[in-house]
Amino acid sequence: MTTKPQLNDDSNFLPGLAALGLFVVMAVVFLQAEFGAPEGFPADVSIVASIGYAMFDISADQLQQQIVSAEGFLAAFLIMAIALDVAIDAAVYLAKREEAGEVVTALVEDVRSDDPTSGGEPSSGRGPAARADGGYDSSDASSGGDR
Amino acid sequence: MVPPQYYLLLAAAIFCIGLFGILTRRNALLFLMSVELMLNAANINLVAFSVYWGNVTGQTLSLFTMALAAAEVAIGIGIILTLYRNFGDVDVTDAASMRW
Repeated sequence: MTTKPQLNDDSNFLPGLAALGLFVVMAVVFLQAEFGAPEGFPADVSIVASIGYAMFDISADQLQQQIVSAEGFLAAFLIMAIALDVAIDAAVYLAKREEAGEVVTALVEDVRSDDPTSGGEPSSGRGPAARADGGYDSSDASSGGDR
Repeated sequence: MVPPQYYLLLAAAIFCIGLFGILTRRNALLFLMSVELMLNAANINLVAFSVYWGNVTGQTLSLFTMALAAAEVAIGIGIILTLYRNFGDVDVTDAASMRW
């Protein structure tokens, strides 16, 4: 028998009314707000080049071409580079799984690639199958563990 | 030029959809997606007012916000992976204590 996706409606939608109320308040405020006359960008200026120069803190007087004015973002660029580096290190640290001091693959069951016809099916009878939560399923290795 | 009120309304709608997701769902992955929606709502405002006032500071700042969102997703996915390993589920209400 085939199954079809069903909407998970076991959530409590009552706190969501706060979000709806916030939208109504913001909409009323925004529609009553007055802004000055729009300035816009000059027609003969490259916006992408201006963003690039702003990112590396290059001012207009160092250049031959006209750019749109902006603040310098060199410090922010370097801080963001370090933050991204830290983020990827932290992601790798959180994702790796160790068993007895040895790094093993994350969220992969006991798949043996020596049989090309198996299509990546979990092995049976060749030791305990690794479950996705990090443990081993020793009672029934052919069941594939917790999916 | 499109009036800025339209951009503000769009950003408010996307922000509130993200807030709705955070308040009503318990799945950690949906939490992460909702936070991304809220971040992108802020980006819409930054770009809209950058064009309105003729200054590229807002657009440059929105690029940094996107990079920050990427870093947040990398950490968030790692935390969700650890949550699943330790609790067997990605329900955020399961992790109610600092130790297990």
